[in-house]
Amino acid sequence: MLKSKTFPSLVGILLLLALLPFGVSGYILGLLTLGYYTAVFAMSWDLLFGFAGEVNFGPSFLIGVGAYTAGLLNHYYTWPIWACVISGGAMSIIAGLLLAVPALRLKGPYFGLVTLVAVLMLQNFIVLFAGITGGEIGLDLPDVLAVDDGSNYWIALAFMGVSGLILFGLSRSAVGLILQASGQDAVQAGALGFNVTKHKLAAFCISALFSGLSGAMLIFYEGTVSVGTVVDIAVGVQVIIAAVLGGRRTILGAALGAVFLIGMGEMLRPLGEASTFVVSAIALVTIMFVPGGFLGALLHGEKR
Amino acid sequence: MKNLLEVTGLTKRFGGLVAVKDMHLTIQGGEILGLIGPNGSGKSTVMKLIMGIERPNAGSVKIDGEEVAGLASHQIARKGVGIVFQHSRPLHRQTVLENIKLALLPDSLLQLFAAAHVEERAHEIARRVHLDHVVNRLPGTLPFADLRRLELARAIARNPKVVLVDEPFAGLTAPEVADFSNLIASFREEGHAVLLVDHNVKGVANLSDRILAMYLGEFITEGSAEDVMRNETVRRVYLGGAIGHAARPEAPEMRDELLRVENVSVFYGKAQALEDVSLHVGRGEFVSVVGLNGAGKTTLFNAISSLVPSTGVVSFDGADLDGKTAGQIARGGIVQCPESRELFGEMSVRENLDLGGHHLPTEEAHQRLEWLLDLFPILKTRAGQDARTLSGGEQQMLTIARALMMKPRLLILDEPTLGLAPVILEQLSKALETLRQTTDITVLLGEQNVTFALPHADRVYVLEHGRFVWEGPPDRFATEAGAQFL
Amino acid sequence: MKFLQILVDGFAISSLYGVGAIGFTLIFGVSGVLNLSHGSIMVAAAIGAWAMAGDLGFGAVGGAAGGVAVGVALALITYTLVVRPIQTSSRIAREEKEIFVLTGTLLWGIMVQEALAYLFTSNPKTVRPLIAGVVDIFGVRTPTQEILTALISWAAIGLLWLLVNRTKAGKVLLAASINPRGLTLLGFELPTIYFWVWALYGLLAGVAGVLLGSFLGVSSDNVGQLTASAFSIVVLGGLGSVTGSLIGAYVVGYLETITAYSGAPSIRTVPVLLLLVLVVYIRPQGLMGRR
Repeated sequence: MLKSKTFPSLVGILLLLALLPFGVSGYILGLLTLGYYTAVFAMSWDLLFGFAGEVNFGPSFLIGVGAYTAGLLNHYYTWPIWACVISGGAMSIIAGLLLAVPALRLKGPYFGLVTLVAVLMLQNFIVLFAGITGGEIGLDLPDVLAVDDGSNYWIALAFMGVSGLILFGLSRSAVGLILQASGQDAVQAGALGFNVTKHKLAAFCISALFSGLSGAMLIFYEGTVSVGTVVDIAVGVQVIIAAVLGGRRTILGAALGAVFLIGMGEMLRPLGEASTFVVSAIALVTIMFVPGGFLGALLHGEKR
Repeated sequence: MKNLLEVTGLTKRFGGLVAVKDMHLTIQGGEILGLIGPNGSGKSTVMKLIMGIERPNAGSVKIDGEEVAGLASHQIARKGVGIVFQHSRPLHRQTVLENIKLALLPDSLLQLFAAAHVEERAHEIARRVHLDHVVNRLPGTLPFADLRRLELARAIARNPKVVLVDEPFAGLTAPEVADFSNLIASFREEGHAVLLVDHNVKGVANLSDRILAMYLGEFITEGSAEDVMRNETVRRVYLGGAIGHAARPEAPEMRDELLRVENVSVFYGKAQALEDVSLHVGRGEFVSVVGLNGAGKTTLFNAISSLVPSTGVVSFDGADLDGKTAGQIARGGIVQCPESRELFGEMSVRENLDLGGHHLPTEEAHQRLEWLLDLFPILKTRAGQDARTLSGGEQQMLTIARALMMKPRLLILDEPTLGLAPVILEQLSKALETLRQTTDITVLLGEQNVTFALPHADRVYVLEHGRFVWEGPPDRFATEAGAQFL
Repeated sequence: MKFLQILVDGFAISSLYGVGAIGFTLIFGVSGVLNLSHGSIMVAAAIGAWAMAGDLGFGAVGGAAGGVAVGVALALITYTLVVRPIQTSSRIAREEKEIFVLTGTLLWGIMVQEALAYLFTSNPKTVRPLIAGVVDIFGVRTPTQEILTALISWAAIGLLWLLVNRTKAGKVLLAASINPRGLTLLGFELPTIYFWVWALYGLLAGVAGVLLGSFLGVSSDNVGQLTASAFSIVVLGGLGSVTGSLIGAYVVGYLETITAYSGAPSIRTVPVLLLLVLVVYIRPQGLMGRR
C-alpha cells in the first residue's frame, strides 16, 4: 500500500515537472498541458468509480457543463476568466446533483446508462441552440489563460497538482474510507451507521466540481469551446480508458494514464487514422492482461 | 432489567410469500437470546428486519423503548444496533486496523481526519478480539477465523446496545468456538443485549440464556435449551420423529466400487473448506453424509462434480475425473440435486424435465418421463405450471425427477429436506424407498436431518469442519455419533 | 400523405432496428453481456457487403450473404478474443467483470471502427440493393428495397421466434437465460451454448447491418450512434426481453421518423432520449422487463 512518504514524494515529482519548461520544446509542453487537464478529468472519474463504486459513463457531461458555462459567460458577458471558471465548477455541481439525486437510486447498468444519456442530451441541446452555443463549430473566446507555452504549462501543472493532492488526500482520508465502504458493500456500510446515499452524493459533487473546473480551464487554454473537445462521447471514453489504464482506485494512476494516453496519441500521429486503433489495442490488451493498470501492477510488484 | 430489544407483530412479505409472520421477541440488557430455525424458516429475515436492511410490512421494533421499525439501516445503527454478518466483507485494500477504524468513524462528510482517540481505541479493540498481532496486514491474507474476529471487532467498535450475530460459529474449529463464545459472553457482561441466530439448538445452547425456535416464519416456542429440545413441534421439524432406522435387506457383501474420493481438499481463498477427505461408494449402495450446516457437504459434492477446484483424486467407475468439465461429469452419470435446487423457475415442470432428458434419444426420454411421472404423481398434475409456482416440496421432487431424467448412475442429493414440512418429508422418503427397491441406483445423500438420512442408508459418514470424524453402519450411529445432533 | 409516408418509412426502419436490437438483447439475456461493439459489427457487415457486391464482384446477393458472414465471424471473434478471456480471467474480481466486459467491448468496437475507416475510408457507403424499382403504396412512392427490408427483418424475427419457442435448442437458450448453473448440472457445456448464441447474434447483427447499408447507407462514423440506439431500444423494452426489444424498436423507430419528418432532422434522437430517461426513472426494468 501507499505509504506516508507518498505526499512528500508527490510534491517532489511536481517540482521536477515544474522545471520542464527550461529544457523542453513548446510542442511537448503543449501536449503535457493537455495531458494535465485530462488527468484531472480522469482522477475525478476515479473518485466516483474506484471509491464510491459508481460507473459514470458520461464524465463529459460534467466536463461539458463546466466548460460551456464558462465559455458562454466569457463570450457573451466577458466575465473575467477566474469568475467564469468558478461559475463553471459551480454549474457542474448543480447539473451533477440534478443528475445524481434520481440516478443514484438506480442499480447496475442503469446508472451508467443515465449518465450516458445525459451526455447525448447535452450534445443535442448544444446543437439545438446553435444560435447561442455555436453548435458543432463552437465558440471563440475573447480571453485566454496565457499566450506562451511555459505559462500555460505551469498553470495546468499547478491546477493538476492542487486538484490531484486534494482528490488523493480525500481518497486517503476518513471520508474516503467511508466512501470506499459504501461503494463496496452498501448494506454493511449502512449497518455500520453510514448514510450511504449522502456519501455517494458528496463524491458525485466533488467529482463534478473538479471535472467542471478542469473543463473550464481547458477551454481557456485552447481559446475555443466546442462539442468535440469537451462534450463528445469520445472525450468521456478517453477519460475512462485513462483511469482504467493507469489503475483504478488509486487516483494517481488515473493521472498517469491520462498523460500516457495523450502522449501516445501524439506519438502515433504519423500513423494517421491507424493511431486510434493502436491506442485502443494497447488499452484493450492492458485491461485484459494487467487489469490493475500501470499503478496497480507497480504496487502489486512491490508487495511481492 | 429493562428490555433493550422488543419486537412485536413483526411481519414481512416478499410478493405472495410470507417470510415472517407476527413474530415477537424481547431481549434484556445483559442477556443472550438464541434464535433457531432450519434454513428458510425466516430467522435471517428477522435479523434483517431489526437492522433495517429489509423494511417490515407490519409490526414494531423498539430499541431501548424507542420505535425504529421503518427507519433506514444507518439510522437504526445509530440508535444502537450492531450486526455481525456471517460472511464478512472487509475493505481489501485497507489494513485490519483501518478496517476497525472505519467502524469508529462518525457519519460525517466534514471530518477528514480521524479523531486522535480513534487510533488508540482501534488498537484496544484489536487486542480484545486477539487481532493485535495482525493489525497491519491486509484482510485477504488472514485465515477465516480472523476475518470473523474482524467482523466482531467492528461490532464492538460501534458499542451498540443490541448486537445481532448471524451463525456465530459457522466454519470455526473447536478451540476457535470456545474463544468466540468468550468474546460474545463479554458482550453480555457489559450489559448489551445479544441475539444469536443459528440453525440448531446445539450451536447456541451453551451460550444462550434463552432459546426461541421459529419455523416457516412463525414463532414456535421459547424457553431453556432443554425446554425447546423437548418441544413436540421442534422435534418434528428437526427429527421428523424419534431417531431410528428402517429395517433394510442386508447389503450384499462384496460390491464393486463406483465412486472413489481420495484425499480431496478444497480452499476458498485462505479458508480450507474440505481437508483431506476420502470416501467410497459401492455400486447400488446408499451412502449418507451427515453434518451440520457449514460442515462441508456441499463443497464435497461440488468437488466431485468439478464445480469447485480441488486437489486430490476423484474417480468414477475406475476412470479419473481429473480435467473433465462439470458438464462431462454430469453426462457421464454423476448427477447432482443441489441444495439450491437450480430449477428453471420461469419454465414449466414439463420443460424442466425435458431439459433433463435432452441428451437422451427422444424415445427413451419419453419412456423415462412416463416412469417418473408415475413415481411422482404430483408432477403430472403440475406439468404445465411454472416451476417457481410450486411449493417447496414439489420443487424438491421436480429437482430429483429432473436429475433422474438424466439416467444417473450416481445420484447426489444435497439437503433435499431443507425447509420442508414433515408431511412432505414422508412423501419424499417413500419416493426414495421406491427408487431403491425398483432400480439399481446408487445414491450419495448429504443431510443435517439425521432421521431422514439414516433409514435409507447402507453406510453413514459424519462430516465436521471439513473432515470425516466417523464412518459406520446406521444402527451404530445413535450410540456412537448421534449425541451431538439436534 | 405525410402521415402515410411516416407510417411506411417508420415501419421499415423499426423492423430493421428490431432485428439489430433482439440480437443485442439475446446475448444479454443468455450470457449477461452488454456488447458495446454492436455498432461496429453492424457497420462491418454492411461495408463487407458493399465491398463484395461492388469491387469484388460477387453481385448483390453474394455481397449480402458475404456481409452477413462478416457479421457472424466478427461476433465470434469478439466473443473468443475479448469477452470470454475477460469472463474466465482469474485476475479480474467477479464483481468487476461487468465493467471490464463493457470497457473491453467498447475498445474492441473502436478498433474495428478505426480499422474500417482506415481500410475503406469513413465516407458513407450504400450497399447495392437486392431489388430495384419503386412501388406505390396508397400514394406513397416506396422503394421496393424498403419493402424487402421490412420483409427480411420480419422473416428473421419470425425464424428466431420459432427457434426459441419451438425447438429443443431454443429451450436450452431460454434455460441458460434463467439459470446457467442448472444447465451445467444437467450436463450442458455453457461455453458451447454461449458460442452458438454469439453466432446467432452475429447473424442477426449482420442481417441488420446489410439491410441498413442498403436502405440508409452506413459509414464507420455511425458506429457509436448504432450502439447507442440498440442500447436505448433494449433498455426501453426491458433488458433481456425479446418482445420488449421489438416494441422498443418500434417506439424508437417511429419516434425518430416522426421527429425527422416534423422538420427537425437534426434532433431526431432527442425525443427518444427524453423517453428513455423517463422510462428508466419510472420503470427501470423497461416496458416488458421482469424482476
